[in-house]
Amino acid sequence: MVDFLQNWVYLTGSMALIGIGLYIVLTNTNIFRIIVGLNIIDSGTNLFIVTIAWHPKSVMPIYTATNNLVVNGHVIAADPLPQSLVLTAIVIGLGTTALALAIAVKIYQKYGTLDVRKIKEEDR
Amino acid sequence: MKTYNIAALLVGVPLLMAFSIPLFGFISKQLAKWITVLTLGFEFFFALYIFLWHIYPFNVIMGNWVPPFGENLYIGPFATVLIILVSFVGLMISIYNLWSANHGDVVHFALLFLMFVGGSIGLISTGDIFNIFIFMEITGISSYALAAYGPERRALGGAFKYLVVSSIGSTLYLFGVLLIYTQLGTLNIAEIAARISQTTSGLLTFAGILLVAGLAVEAELFPFNGWVPDTYTGAVNPVSATLSGIGSVGGVYVLFRILMTVFGKDGNFVSTYGNIDLMSLVAILGSATVVIGELSALAQKNVKKMLAYSSMAQMGLVAIGFSIGSKMGSYAGVFQLVNHSVAKAMMFLILGVIVSFGIGERIDDMKGLWYKSPFLTITFTIGSLSLLGLPLFGGFWSKFALVDASIQRGGWYDFVIAIVLFASVVEAFYYLRIVGYMFTSKPISTDKIKVSVSPAVPIVAFSILIIAIGVFPQIVGGISWNAAHELTDKMGGYVLNVIPTIVGH
Repeated sequence: MVDFLQNWVYLTGSMALIGIGLYIVLTNTNIFRIIVGLNIIDSGTNLFIVTIAWHPKSVMPIYTATNNLVVNGHVIAADPLPQSLVLTAIVIGLGTTALALAIAVKIYQKYGTLDVRKIKEEDR
Repeated sequence: MKTYNIAALLVGVPLLMAFSIPLFGFISKQLAKWITVLTLGFEFFFALYIFLWHIYPFNVIMGNWVPPFGENLYIGPFATVLIILVSFVGLMISIYNLWSANHGDVVHFALLFLMFVGGSIGLISTGDIFNIFIFMEITGISSYALAAYGPERRALGGAFKYLVVSSIGSTLYLFGVLLIYTQLGTLNIAEIAARISQTTSGLLTFAGILLVAGLAVEAELFPFNGWVPDTYTGAVNPVSATLSGIGSVGGVYVLFRILMTVFGKDGNFVSTYGNIDLMSLVAILGSATVVIGELSALAQKNVKKMLAYSSMAQMGLVAIGFSIGSKMGSYAGVFQLVNHSVAKAMMFLILGVIVSFGIGERIDDMKGLWYKSPFLTITFTIGSLSLLGLPLFGGFWSKFALVDASIQRGGWYDFVIAIVLFASVVEAFYYLRIVGYMFTSKPISTDKIKVSVSPAVPIVAFSILIIAIGVFPQIVGGISWNAAHELTDKMGGYVLNVIPTIVGH
């Protein structure tokens, strides 16, 4: 929890994923690509959640005779709570994606296109 | 710490009934709609019981794990007034739905509606910062589907826009929550609130900005509210009423629970920890929302779009009220939230009745409504007068309190007085224009509109409530004052009620 900055590779990676996702959502006009962008933002956040719970020298958070959770007064066990949170976040992301795809199918049925600009023109 | 575990039913019953509605739907579609009415009726009377017998403030403890360790619901005065409001508006809209929802997939519409209201009540009562995210997504996913419901294809575009903006917003919220977690190692609101000063200032500021950005989507604040006009215009009228009457209430609640209870620094006027004062940030966003919302509403030719922009502007006023940070300001915010929610839900429902009789949504179509239906005209007028803040209607007292609080704060907030008065003038212009059209112009055809009982009940109930609040403001005023106390006194009002043994830092 404290020294999660050691995982700078994963931290940078998660920030980069969020940035890429936002870029895709903001610049694309195709609805399907926007949904892909949303998914990438979700993945970035999930990677961040897993990263803050873990560092290279951590051990599993289960107390046994050979598994010391505390060494020299420092907790070295991985933090189990964010790992349970990430499951919830993944499931919620799945639900949102499924609903977004269902709406995209409906839009394609009603408008015959997935391009946001053409849909806007047809609504006028 | 007082516990009252039976109140877990407030969250449990609507979610349980929502997912059993398809079973009732097998028997008959009418039964499915009546189940929503009965469930929300239970919610409303239970919340009223908590209010009138003064059971609040209390905690609901899950599985005997006391709050910093287990999850809890905390229902204080602020949550009580909002749960009563949400369940009342939900009950009225579900009575309206008995009449209006009769084509398409009625059973799943009832399911989503109940899930939305249940999720909002959960959002308002939970005491865990991660559960707020879960309830945000429950209300979010059900409201995207509700917004896409209906025969018109423009609903789909609005729903998709809402989905994109709102799911990015909730992802940002989650990110902010996890940043706070890395600092403090807890997700309980009360414990975070007590220990917030132990965090790194820069990281806390970053987390705060992420949280505000995520929550401002639901609270309809300026740069994040691009979805509002499209979604409200596209959705069927009961759904627009639900989104503006219930959805925004949950958003504002969470925004100011985070800013004032979690981030808040006590003083004469609440400010926040971190490098920048997030309360001032929200005040600026709120002022921008009011100006942009009111001016856009003025330019609309479509009544529904006008109501959508007006709803945005009203939420800006609510945000300004809370962000003043004094007791009077929070009181104005809560009061304005109640008035806005009741009046705007009623006006969307009235518009739904008008549209169902083949009259269009444009302002010109409203001409001569008085000759077709005096009932709808009078109730629409009551709603308009309350929104623009005429004395003897609900909206007057909240705008009065808002101006009063701004004067007490002084300094930069003198500017807010001008914004509130400007908003009232602009609102008066565009609402009274419609009301004038309704009364004066002679219509081409004078076919009478016969409003049946089920849509008339909610409209009458809302207008009676508006006038009752206008004449006896203490109905809402007393509990709003308690809610303001809860928000401005963070330790005494919230933290010590949840974890009595904690020491503030």
